[in-house]
Amino acid sequence: MPQFFLNKRLIILLVSIIILVALIGFSLRDREELTWPEQFVKDTTGLVQSMVSRPAHYVAGFFESLKDLQNTYEENKELKKHLDDIARTEAKLYSLERENAELKEILEIEESLGDYEPMQATIISRSPDRLWHEMIIINKGKSHGVEKNMAVMTSRGLIGKVKSTTPFTSTVQLLSALDPTNRISAAVQGKEKPLYGTIEGYDKENEWLLLKGLPIDAKIKEGENVITSGLGGVFPADVPIGKVHEVVPDEFGLNQTAYVKPEADLYNIEHVMILTRGMTMPPESENNEEAEGENL
Amino acid sequence: MKRYLVPLLLAFLFVFEGLFAQLWPADWFNGDYIFVPRFLIIALLFLSIYGSMKHGIMYGFIFGLMFDMVYTEIIGIYLFMFPLAVYIFWNIMRLVDTNIIVVSVVSIICVALLESGVYLMNLLIHIANMDFSSFSKIRLIPTLILNFSFILLFAYPFKRQFEKFADSLRND
Repeated sequence: MPQFFLNKRLIILLVSIIILVALIGFSLRDREELTWPEQFVKDTTGLVQSMVSRPAHYVAGFFESLKDLQNTYEENKELKKHLDDIARTEAKLYSLERENAELKEILEIEESLGDYEPMQATIISRSPDRLWHEMIIINKGKSHGVEKNMAVMTSRGLIGKVKSTTPFTSTVQLLSALDPTNRISAAVQGKEKPLYGTIEGYDKENEWLLLKGLPIDAKIKEGENVITSGLGGVFPADVPIGKVHEVVPDEFGLNQTAYVKPEADLYNIEHVMILTRGMTMPPESENNEEAEGENL
Repeated sequence: MKRYLVPLLLAFLFVFEGLFAQLWPADWFNGDYIFVPRFLIIALLFLSIYGSMKHGIMYGFIFGLMFDMVYTEIIGIYLFMFPLAVYIFWNIMRLVDTNIIVVSVVSIICVALLESGVYLMNLLIHIANMDFSSFSKIRLIPTLILNFSFILLFAYPFKRQFEKFADSLRND
């Protein structure tokens, strides 16, 4: 009898390992869309999560404001200093924007890769399995027009891209994820011309992003801006990512790797913007006709 | 009503883990350490010892699958690890005395086993690329500290709740 039980246990273990490997293999594939049970579970939990997260945020927000009050005086002094600079930059920006519009008119360019439409979203949850899965769940989904691989940013800079969507929520993979398939085409705003590379990988210990594939002869200085390049995918161009911290030759000496300090805070995120590239949008007239048709 | 209290408590802990990860001030100590809430598995371990082992394993499967779907998008890891952790815990508890201090210590050991198991699996599928020493410094030890303080606070309420649950099962 004991022999039989031992065998039964062994068989259960073996079968479950086979199922485990099959399931992991299935979910590791580069999937276009989640299966419907997954979407259903995510949407249901998303509903509960958004109900719970709102009041929790109010309570957390209250304590945070109390903490903020403590150093208001210091901050105010600092901000006043910056304010003088801002007036000057704003004036400059205004004239540059007008000049840009005029020049575009001359060249008859209507759209550029840098055009995007921001969509506001709020975080309802975050994956507790941090370090392996740096993901956040937001309250906008397929029915609001979110698609896979769209760029997501806070007011300060890029934080990640949409990993998957369900009808009412979507999951965003942050830049700090260790996942090697998490790649973003980026460029260094050099003195003369932009230098292209890809953001791949994250150094947890120093909190640096790795910008790989930069040309070996390029001279990149510390503190230069890194932005999205807008090449490929649905990413818009010119979204700030961070600043170059250090440049080293890569392991084979063919390329350079830049360590980039991310601009956005990847920890305390509350509101995000999902960016829809303006250029891939269908023409205006089509939308209007559809809308009119529905009204009739 | 009492019948639904346990699944409701587990579902609340499941949602709460996500909320906790979001609201926890992650930039403590420069964000060098990662505190992973493992409250759900602690509740499952207590359920298996004070409530019933069968229910512990069953809820382990259900919530493991949900955890995989919602929080990691890789189905299989927690689906496998949650019931396994409950099973190992229950087998250890059969050998030793079941007073609340021993249960607490063994459950923190099982949380450590779960964390290491998840790390090993992620290492196998190339999601983690970190050696064990930095993993234990960055994630394992802070996680154990956080969860041990959770156990200190909730061990007794959990015990009472699950014993009531076991009583109601026996009466049926």
